[in-house]
Amino acid sequence: MLDRRAVLALLFLIAASLPAEAAGGKLVVYTSQPNTDAQQTVDAFKAKHPDVDISFVRDGTPRVLAKLRAEIAAGQPQADVLLIADSVTMEGLKKEGLLLPYKTEATAPYPAGTHDPDGAWFGTKLITTGIVYNTKAPMKPASWSDLLKPEAKGQVQIPTPVTSGAAMIHTVTLTANLPAGWGYYKDLKANGAVATGANGDVLRAVSGGEKLYGFIVDFMPIREKAKGAPIEFVFPAEGVSAVTEPVAILKSSKNPEAAKAFVDFLLSAEGQALTAKQGYVPALPSAPLPAGYPARSAIKVMPFDPAKALAEEAANKKKFQDIFAE
Amino acid sequence: MLAVTVALFAAVGLVPVLRLADAALRPAGVFDAAPFLAEIATRRAALALRHSLETCLLGGFGALVIGGLVALAAALTDVRAVRPIAFLYVLSMLMAPQVTALAFLTATGPSSPLLNSLGLAPAPGSANPLTGPAGIIALLALHHSPLVFILLRTGLASIPGDVIEAARISGARPTRIARTIVLPLMRPYLAAAAALAFVACVGNFGIPALLGISVNYLTLPTLIYVEISSGGPAVLADMAALSVVMAVMTLAGLAVAGLVAPGRATRIAPGAGLGRPFRLGSWRLPVEAALWLLVAIVFVLPVASLVTTALVPAYGVALTSTTLTLDNFVEVLARQKVTVRALVNSGLYAGLAAALLALAAIPAAHVLERRGGRLKAIAETLIELPYALPGIVLAVATILLFLKPLPLVGVSLYATPAIIVVAYLIRFATVALKAPAAAMAQLPTDIEEAARIAGAGYARRLWTIVAPLIAPAAVAGALAVFLTAFNELTVSALLWSAGTETLGVVMFNLEDGGYATLAAAVAVVSIGVIAVAMIGLDLCASRLPRRVVPWR
Repeated sequence: MLDRRAVLALLFLIAASLPAEAAGGKLVVYTSQPNTDAQQTVDAFKAKHPDVDISFVRDGTPRVLAKLRAEIAAGQPQADVLLIADSVTMEGLKKEGLLLPYKTEATAPYPAGTHDPDGAWFGTKLITTGIVYNTKAPMKPASWSDLLKPEAKGQVQIPTPVTSGAAMIHTVTLTANLPAGWGYYKDLKANGAVATGANGDVLRAVSGGEKLYGFIVDFMPIREKAKGAPIEFVFPAEGVSAVTEPVAILKSSKNPEAAKAFVDFLLSAEGQALTAKQGYVPALPSAPLPAGYPARSAIKVMPFDPAKALAEEAANKKKFQDIFAE
Repeated sequence: MLAVTVALFAAVGLVPVLRLADAALRPAGVFDAAPFLAEIATRRAALALRHSLETCLLGGFGALVIGGLVALAAALTDVRAVRPIAFLYVLSMLMAPQVTALAFLTATGPSSPLLNSLGLAPAPGSANPLTGPAGIIALLALHHSPLVFILLRTGLASIPGDVIEAARISGARPTRIARTIVLPLMRPYLAAAAALAFVACVGNFGIPALLGISVNYLTLPTLIYVEISSGGPAVLADMAALSVVMAVMTLAGLAVAGLVAPGRATRIAPGAGLGRPFRLGSWRLPVEAALWLLVAIVFVLPVASLVTTALVPAYGVALTSTTLTLDNFVEVLARQKVTVRALVNSGLYAGLAAALLALAAIPAAHVLERRGGRLKAIAETLIELPYALPGIVLAVATILLFLKPLPLVGVSLYATPAIIVVAYLIRFATVALKAPAAAMAQLPTDIEEAARIAGAGYARRLWTIVAPLIAPAAVAGALAVFLTAFNELTVSALLWSAGTETLGVVMFNLEDGGYATLAAAVAVVSIGVIAVAMIGLDLCASRLPRRVVPWR
């Protein structure tokens, strides 16, 4: 007679060797969402779809892309879904034929423009870039040009487009909309501004009082201020730049069904409510804004040309580097 | 056996470098040195080279002086409480350089809780006094000095006590003993420590990154990092060119160290240790005070800074009884699975690399010492190369080497834990080999010869005679590997994938995402884990070979 434990072990082995699809499958999300938010998003999805074994990889958008490209070169991309800062990067990937088009009912309540008409990517939220200042700062900035004043000399830190997708869009938007164009960045540099790291570095420098002003994505200072950090976020008078943190399915995904479920979840009312709870402006127009933000109509987003941004991406990076490198 | 060992060394040290040199000199598949020469002739590259040289020469020298003095006091004099001092001192080295740098920045910046309570904090908006070359040199020296301490103390403990006893009986003063006995016997260890401190400084990324990039003081590794992150794979050739410059610079440093070391080390029989022969008398208290001050600077200050950051809800909030919260710890330990997974991963990868390297270091040290001849210096230099390259460059070389599926087995290592372990093996081989090689250099040949005459074969002589004698050094080397690899960031930063996150990656990601308080909590947890591991090792030290535990 067989030992009962041996039978159990055998059953376990058989169960473990079954194809992964039978259990809902593996789903890998590559994202630029901060860790806590990414974990919450993944947990909320898991609660709805307990059979999907979902995990995530988190890094700044340019580094996520570098990783993905190395993997594609190796012939084994690991990601099923991308959830990254900006649609310009997504447009580039779409042009290369790397994204899986997906027509979904979930886009019905969204206005055109928040998602790709071919279903290659879908905006999930609105992340604007404005000005953060330390509450001990002598000057309260109200416009982008305030950072060129003598009070801000040597006190400004901004994220670089090489580590942050949002900073790339911000640079393109600001240079296209401010009358001085790239001259604004030259003046910033002349006023002693430093460009280093990502938005998190700006947050740390301004919260810690090492710098008094900075460019930053909205949710970081609004969230930290609520926790007591001595900082304030400003929507400057000229307007802000914005990214939509789009989600997309990779054509190489081994589990497109679970990936589609993930996209639908992010776009659902429930997914958008989670977005608001995390302190972001949801992409869904009917979803209320989190505390700390002005009314949706009061947020003035400066216009931005994605096709031009994509075409000039390398040139813009170089211009930025040339101004701030030395 | 010799041929195999040398071939292995060449493979470990040379293949990644050759792959990079290939990328540097044959950017389009045909030889073309013009872009290489153009890149290294740029003003930025020349400036970065100068910055690297000045910070690493001074930082390495500082580490040698500080670590050397501590080793002398701990190994030769009657200062009290050597164990806790050594324990905390070694623990300070285990903190990742970027964490240490960050903690020092916080502790000396405008929001420093310590300086604020003393009314000494810099005004809001003023530059941190640690940014720039002086701060980089100071932190490099402090951070790498425990490495020197461990090596020199192992060396000092191997000096036979009877020789010194004989000198004392003949009336020699301590200074004369130091000059005529200790120094000559210590020379290989000193050369090894100086070389290791210098190459560790050259390869250090975290300290110049945090203290230098924002004030545009770039060293070679930070320049390479800035170039990669701005240009991506497109600048691979230029970056490889800069890496080759770094490799050359390291070779020059090692050559100088080689001139200092004698051609043939004095062989001494394993015997009774040194004891701690020198009484300090009225100098004991000041020396002890100086040691504790050092521990306060390298350990207490950064840890206190991290703990106060980890206990407040948001960075920049002052720590008071009302703002104190444990929420950051709950978040990273209970809510985010990735932290615990990263702890396990880092322990596993670093442990595996340390164990494999210690096992390989014993035969390697033996073969090189007994039969290496002139090849020994070449092999040791080769194996030093990957350690001298910046981690991020080694990571790129590793990706280039292992992206394609391996021949024969047809499996790609990319996106598996194996690629991280392999990169660790390549990078830290020199750390594992240093101590066993130094121990081997002093092992007399007579016992082995006796065994050979008695008919013992090579493997039997190696594992029953040589291995037990140099095992303590091998384990000390393995420990140094584990400690360095556990918190490293620069290698795994490019090699991790879903599920294979390392501790360094998680901390960096939290920092990058704006969660300074969560990053501090992870840092505190990682220091706690290492401290617990060290205490565990300490408790079973009596069952381990002598001198394995570096702080005892």
